[in-house]
Amino acid sequence: MGNIDYFSFQRVAEYFPQLLSRLHITLIITVLSLVIGLLLGTLIAAVRLFNIPVLKQITTVYISFIRGVPINIQLFIVYFGLPALLNPVFLRFNIDLNMLDAFSFVVATYAFNSAAFLSVVVTAAIQGVDKGQLEGARSIGMTRGQMFMRVVFPQAFHIAIPEFGNTVISTLKDTSLAFTVGVVDMVGVISSIAARTRHSLEGYVGAAIIYFAFCIVLEKGFSALEKKLQVYK
Amino acid sequence: MIQVRNLQKSFGSNKVLKGIDLSVEEGEVVVILGPSGSGKTTLLRCINFLEKADEGEIVIGSTQVNARHATKRQILDICRKTAMVFQSFNLFKNKTALENVAEGPVIVQKVEKQKALEYGRELLKNVGLSDKYDAYPSELSGGQQQRVGIARALALHPEVILFDEPTSALDPELVGEVLGVIKKIAKKGITMIIVTHEMSFAQDVANRVVFMDEGVIVEQGTPQEIFLDAKEERTKQFLKRITPEYTYQI
Repeated sequence: MGNIDYFSFQRVAEYFPQLLSRLHITLIITVLSLVIGLLLGTLIAAVRLFNIPVLKQITTVYISFIRGVPINIQLFIVYFGLPALLNPVFLRFNIDLNMLDAFSFVVATYAFNSAAFLSVVVTAAIQGVDKGQLEGARSIGMTRGQMFMRVVFPQAFHIAIPEFGNTVISTLKDTSLAFTVGVVDMVGVISSIAARTRHSLEGYVGAAIIYFAFCIVLEKGFSALEKKLQVYK
Repeated sequence: MIQVRNLQKSFGSNKVLKGIDLSVEEGEVVVILGPSGSGKTTLLRCINFLEKADEGEIVIGSTQVNARHATKRQILDICRKTAMVFQSFNLFKNKTALENVAEGPVIVQKVEKQKALEYGRELLKNVGLSDKYDAYPSELSGGQQQRVGIARALALHPEVILFDEPTSALDPELVGEVLGVIKKIAKKGITMIIVTHEMSFAQDVANRVVFMDEGVIVEQGTPQEIFLDAKEERTKQFLKRITPEYTYQI
């Protein structure tokens, strides 16, 4: 009876390139969903800031739903529920949502998810701009548009950086659940390595290193950006 | 020329302005005095529509606006004919001193950028900040920020500059530098309406002093008339409280 071989650093090194080869999937999901999420989140923020009746109540429910439901449940609801719900409409345009691959649903889920969080970030940032700044802008005769572009947006941007950074990092980590609907990202590749070699721990350790490294870099990057703009705080 | 007719403004059930009539000639420096809560600041803010008055008319140069029916365009027009110096400065935090001064001319008045910057430097030099062009507001003292605020107002060549307690938020030792700058520009014949608690400054700089209390103009006249020979009891009481008859020396 030999020792059971649970773990070896050699295998971590061996699997590492395989993990890295799927890193782009993780990053694409993260970036795409954040871009869509930011657009959608800004719209939601506008609804909230302009106090648009009915829509505002809907966004309140939406945000609390997203906040209150685990991300993997959201993922399954979008993956299984969205085609069932929307297909009758889309089929009229000859689009069958069931033909879309898992990747699209994953991006949709994370986009919906980050939209909720980012809408809160954007709302808070814009409300965080000192009222006196607006009065200053009005006093020199700026239009509302000029006021927003020249004064509100740059300052709100600065206010938003730390929280935006947090959302980016948590979205990046949340994408590790994408494999549950069959997307072969870094985590997805671990399962196939495990099936082949019966070793999965090394894969997870490797993935941990990659996620961790990315998050550290993002964190440092955002705080450097914040510091760079600090001058006018 | 600026005219305010029957201006009225309430906040909830609190009537802050109860029908103000005021007219200011071109080049005139009008100082508004009065106890806190008398509506001085509200009057100033209603003139440039930072607050929308409930009733009354405002005329600035060729623009005549009924406060109740003011359109967006008219309000913008009024904003562009006036400039304001705020108690809390309200400089744009994301812009340097020079950018603050040039912002109005470049963005609002579409002056060529180089020209606006050049003029901005000149204005900052005039208020004694020739070494602070590139400083952000956070890097400046209150007195310096307020002087940038004054330069920002001047850069617009407004028909009137409204000063809303420009020294009230300053440390005592910084008040002098700001008042000095205001005095200097008063001599250039720029129309100004100033709300202040600095009595000797008011006496010095004003062509006319307006005393307000409880939302009405109680009395107005030359500094001499008001400070030395007030007709109304309320004015006398106020001035007595503000300028003590005796000074104690130890």
